[in-house]
Amino acid sequence: MKEKTILNVKDLSAAYEDAEVLSSVNLSLKKGEMLCIVGESGSGKSTLLRTVCGDAQIKVKNGCVIYGDRDITKLKSCERQKVLGTKIGYIQQNPWGAFNPLRPYSIQFRETLKSHKKKYDAEKIAELFSILGLKDPESILKSRPYEMSGGMNQRIAIAASFILGPELLLCDEITSALDVTTASAVTDELLKLKKETEVTIVMVTHNIGIAANIADRIAIMYKGQIVECGERDKIINAPEHEYTKRLLADVPQLEY
Amino acid sequence: MIVFAAAVIIMTLFAGVFAPNDPYKTSATVIRTAPCADYPFGTDNLGRCVFSRVLYGGRTTIAATFFLVFVSFAIGTVIGMVCGYYGGIADRIFMRIADITLGFPQMVVAIAVAGILGAGMKGAMIALGITMWISFARLARSHTYSIKNEAYVKTVLFTGKSDFYIIMVHIFPNLMGPVLTNALTQIGTTMIGLSGLSFLGLGIIPPTAEWGSMISEARAYIQIAPWSVFYPAAATIITIIIFNYLGDVVMDYREAG
Amino acid sequence: MIRSVLKKLAEIIIILVVLSFFVFVLLYIAPGDPAEKRLTSQGIVVTKQVLDAERERLGLLKPFLVRYGEWLFSVIKGDFGVSFKDDMPVAPKLYKGLVNTCILAFSSLMLSLSLSFTLGVASAVKKDGIFDHIVRIFSFVANSLPNFLISVLLMYFFCIKLDIFPVIAAGDLQGLVMPVLSLAIPMTGRFTRQIRAEILNRMNEDYVTGMKGRGVKNRYIILNVVRNSLGHIFTIVALQIGTLMGGSVVIETIFRWPGIGKLVMDSISARDYPVIMGFVLIMGAIYVVVNSLSDVLDRTLDPRISE
Repeated sequence: MKEKTILNVKDLSAAYEDAEVLSSVNLSLKKGEMLCIVGESGSGKSTLLRTVCGDAQIKVKNGCVIYGDRDITKLKSCERQKVLGTKIGYIQQNPWGAFNPLRPYSIQFRETLKSHKKKYDAEKIAELFSILGLKDPESILKSRPYEMSGGMNQRIAIAASFILGPELLLCDEITSALDVTTASAVTDELLKLKKETEVTIVMVTHNIGIAANIADRIAIMYKGQIVECGERDKIINAPEHEYTKRLLADVPQLEY
Repeated sequence: MIVFAAAVIIMTLFAGVFAPNDPYKTSATVIRTAPCADYPFGTDNLGRCVFSRVLYGGRTTIAATFFLVFVSFAIGTVIGMVCGYYGGIADRIFMRIADITLGFPQMVVAIAVAGILGAGMKGAMIALGITMWISFARLARSHTYSIKNEAYVKTVLFTGKSDFYIIMVHIFPNLMGPVLTNALTQIGTTMIGLSGLSFLGLGIIPPTAEWGSMISEARAYIQIAPWSVFYPAAATIITIIIFNYLGDVVMDYREAG
Repeated sequence: MIRSVLKKLAEIIIILVVLSFFVFVLLYIAPGDPAEKRLTSQGIVVTKQVLDAERERLGLLKPFLVRYGEWLFSVIKGDFGVSFKDDMPVAPKLYKGLVNTCILAFSSLMLSLSLSFTLGVASAVKKDGIFDHIVRIFSFVANSLPNFLISVLLMYFFCIKLDIFPVIAAGDLQGLVMPVLSLAIPMTGRFTRQIRAEILNRMNEDYVTGMKGRGVKNRYIILNVVRNSLGHIFTIVALQIGTLMGGSVVIETIFRWPGIGKLVMDSISARDYPVIMGFVLIMGAIYVVVNSLSDVLDRTLDPRISE
């Protein structure tokens, strides 16, 4: 089976000011897959996503990120603005981190769509909301993020990303700040949406349990490097690297 | 900038050494002389040497400023530490007062005091001090509060040390940084305030040399002897800029580190 | 919402009563006898008989609290007493001066707010660019200039050397230019610095990253950040009202602008207490009301700020 590669990270090294966070990371993404990047905090997994998005604080020292024949780490900010959202979506950990907490969602949806010269389509939003288990879209759109729970906000953030129809969605620990039941509900809904749209998803998480449940492939990050990357079953059942083995051994088991 | 600040302080502190003439000696023969070798900044309406008066005036302004900032710093820090450490009703009342007085018009206080007690440096100092100590107290209070709640201070409390010991050994040294930075940033503001009050005749009473009052006096004959306004004006601006710049640098440094 | 407004209202009233008491006490402890001062300031020879009659007439023989109550009551009715200088009621003079002061203060506030808002936001958005550096230098220097110095220098260059504007501001539009500039320049410096810092601070919030991640245009992001900072910017402005009042006293005295500040400066040398007391009360009231309003406004714009 020959799959199309949509993102290619080649020998990427990046740093915040002096501290190097990523050292020679290599990673390629196949169209339509769900890749989970697993690692402890400080391993550089979030930085990897932020580098792809072009965070101004991160300096790329070496290597490149190829997306559609171009190195997207070298885009000008106006070019990047066009790519982000419609081509590459990004959702972060903080559930209140997607919207201005003080303004109604509807206005912010409008601004998001207008930025990409798209029409505000209430029906499409309502459809996304219903897949995400959000009832009464009209009253939700009228309310403001600070009044809503974290789970609600994260669902609406997912909706805002999908409304732009991205090819690739980067999710940075999007369920870590939610309680366990909400987190698994949000994950399920995200998978449902993925099935409908065939979007490629990179999910960063520190929980290998989540990765074992949803991933097609898993990449293990440790100290700024990808130490192991492969099909889910291979990583879970036959890990090669010491660190992966340790991660798997530390997964808490329910005891009866 | 530290060099400049030191230079300004030394020049004015030892005004007697650097001043070529007696700042208070009037002379009918050299009224409003343009700057020359004998009088580097010229002379004023009464034939007094402007250069010497700028030096002596700087001493007045800088000494008064430092004194005022130091007193506000001492009073504010003590009250802030006590309020932050013990909390309770006194603390809440204090916070209310602080909220209200923080930006209370100093000039209005100065006018009230001067109007009733008469003009003078005392009134000007009270007027400026009444709002300044608050900024120190607020800062000291919030830092005391957070230091007090840190784990290591709580541990020390269990060893049975007295409150006074904890305040002096653990809290006071830790809040010196932010409070001293505030003191540095207050210097420029205080100079502006003091010279402004003196300019209005609510601060220093002539003939004592002071930049604000010198400018105020010389304003009347600015057309004939502009130097008697320009030199004290330049001295005021340069000094304030030096101290404000120092304040900014220290502030940025603290925020970055 | 209504509860917090009522609470604020009660607070304002308490503060004003305390302030009025403070002002009255100041007068009470002032050295010298008001009756004597009043007579001497009118040039009447003071004898024991005249003095006693004057004391009786002024109600100085009544107990302290009764006098305070009567005074407070008349102040609430808008009567600030009569001037020691010319026996005319003080209130109309104060109001007339206040109107002129408000014209001056409001114009310079508007000028400096519009300038510093534009400069502050623009330099925060283009942080570390050339424009930002220029704005930072300008605002730093402007903030370091005492307004009396600016007015003396402006007066020298524009009124005397170039003769464009009149030296004495006669209360007309042309006379307004110099005083407004003198007040506005240092204030613009201060506001620009504070607004820039505020915007920069808010640019670091998480949702800005989130919006960028959706490719929202910079224009909208800036609008969102500015919208969220508005409440705090109002507070910054309100806290500067005190400085503005003080500045207008200086500027009015220099340019002879017929405002309340010039009125009170003229009254200080004459020890005209009713004018001074009225001035302090009115200024204090304006300060307290403006700051309470900005507080309420801040809370309305950002409901997350809790008590």
